[in-house]
Amino acid sequence: MRKFSLFCLMLLTVLALTGTGVWAQEAAKPETPAVAPATPQPEPATPQPEPATPPPPAAEPAKPATPEAVKPAAPAPAPAAPATMSKLEEVIAKTPVGTGKGQINPEAPKGYMGIPGAPSHFWLWYILWGTWVGWIFSSVGAFGGIMAGVGHISVFGLSDYAKGFRQTNPTLNKLLTDSIRTSNQYLVGLSAFISSFTYWRMGRLVMPLGLCLAGGGILAGYLVPLFTVGKLDASTYVGFFGIIVFAVAFVLFYETTEKGQASRKAARAAAKAFEDAHIKKGGEASAEQLKGVQVISWGLTRIRFTFYGAEFSFNPIWPILGGFVINGISALIGVGGGFLYVPFLTSVAGLPMFIVAGTSALAVLIGMIVNIFNMMVVRQIPVDFLLIGTELIGIAIGSVLGPMTSKKIPEVWLKRLFVVLAIYVGIGYLTKGFLGQSIFPGM
Amino acid sequence: MDMPPLFLWLDPYLIWFFRLTDHAGLNFFLGTAAMAGLALIMGKLSSALIVAGSRRHTQELTDKAKKYQDLSIQALEVGDRQAYEAANKMANEAFGKSFFLGVAQSAGFFWPIGLVLAWMQYRFFGIAFPVPGLDWSVNFIGVFIPLYILCWVLLSRGKRFIRTRQDLAGVPNTLTTYK
Repeated sequence: MRKFSLFCLMLLTVLALTGTGVWAQEAAKPETPAVAPATPQPEPATPQPEPATPPPPAAEPAKPATPEAVKPAAPAPAPAAPATMSKLEEVIAKTPVGTGKGQINPEAPKGYMGIPGAPSHFWLWYILWGTWVGWIFSSVGAFGGIMAGVGHISVFGLSDYAKGFRQTNPTLNKLLTDSIRTSNQYLVGLSAFISSFTYWRMGRLVMPLGLCLAGGGILAGYLVPLFTVGKLDASTYVGFFGIIVFAVAFVLFYETTEKGQASRKAARAAAKAFEDAHIKKGGEASAEQLKGVQVISWGLTRIRFTFYGAEFSFNPIWPILGGFVINGISALIGVGGGFLYVPFLTSVAGLPMFIVAGTSALAVLIGMIVNIFNMMVVRQIPVDFLLIGTELIGIAIGSVLGPMTSKKIPEVWLKRLFVVLAIYVGIGYLTKGFLGQSIFPGM
Repeated sequence: MDMPPLFLWLDPYLIWFFRLTDHAGLNFFLGTAAMAGLALIMGKLSSALIVAGSRRHTQELTDKAKKYQDLSIQALEVGDRQAYEAANKMANEAFGKSFFLGVAQSAGFFWPIGLVLAWMQYRFFGIAFPVPGLDWSVNFIGVFIPLYILCWVLLSRGKRFIRTRQDLAGVPNTLTTYK
């Protein structure tokens, strides 16, 4: 069964990647013109060192800073030179030159993605913001992804910078917007990838359910970039982001209400009562238990399986739709996605946690591979890897700090704090995105 | 693009891996493979440190999720639907916390990729590599990712091979596994 699962996973992934590549050929062709195999000469203008020994750093420390040294594409044959310009360089070249709003001054210091005059911050700020995001992830949970997005949109000023080109160069506005959401995807998606993979290895898999979820996710992973890459301006993106923040605020708020707290207490009490009455210690597994998940029937309208003797069934359309919506949000906004599968399957479909973890992880893995591959390799959305790398360092630090501090602050108060923050950010982004001006400062 | 000071300092060392032969295309693949291996090893080391830093908390969350998970299965076995739903809800909550802690910890594994790609972005930005047999091309990331996955597979297999040899020789296992 495990080999079969692996085979299906690989097959789906290969199909998805191949499909994405073929579908996106038209989009990719003009943007990434092929160069002759010998052209990608990585040799810089620096003198060749002896192959056996690395060059001493003191001998030629400053040379790679020269444009010729850091851009190995430059020595390409003259006729090919304009064609080797990247998507970003092409768009920048079409932007009016000047120092005003919506203009680029080539003499200005280079900032985000090397764009002259773009926002740029000292690297420590990126690490500090990442630490905040990591702390939230490890103490509150889902809101960490939102905060990663807030960092790119507001704290580092990328959204306002992109918005400045709305009139002068809408293509740059949209390219920067795509870059922001792809950066969110990298930051949250890559990390969730490992986590999901670990759960997938330890979990149990309901193959038909995983395939339905993954199928919906792949469809969204293809359709959403197809209809939104290069078409979504910064304001609209910020507005959509605000809607998602509101949804998270609503969930967090519900968990802090009396009803939400009571429901949690009741669940804990019921589980405790059952534990006291039935807990088994070190019992032998029965033959029925050893069977695990057993698929009884596959149908277009209903798929049935048993797990530990209890029968479960679902209509395949729901996980397909669920996979589509969840991965669609992830592809559109750059946050969300993976973590929504588990509550969807346990709360909406009522499936046991024991099999949900492994099954959802399959969908997460495939969805993320498709999303990231599509944005990164096929559509070649440029991102600032220095920003992402330093933020990831911060998130890792925050993951250690979170457990140290979370026990000192009551969980319900942490959630209340983030409800207020989420409402502030949600309203701020909604008004900024759809009304043109945020009613709150700092957005 | 102007390189940040850290990259300027590292650049002469890193570019050495891209000058191993006289063939430019081969050099690029060898150099990228070296960068992938470097990012993988640094990520493994740093994630081991990060996980060790919050091992107790991680274990508590995992135990809690497992406890309610087991409880929900036992409720299923005895046919107690109400207890199953309650235990499942609690398992879901514990899983959520454990999942997000894992998400944050995983950043310790991925940050070297970000920095390596950042350096490669300064060096190889704008270069497209034709994919043999297809009518489209990929950039340096499209070359890095498959090589990174290959390094990952090779490292896992290598560790398994060493462990098997150690088991056969009766040597205590000293290799750690990323979780």
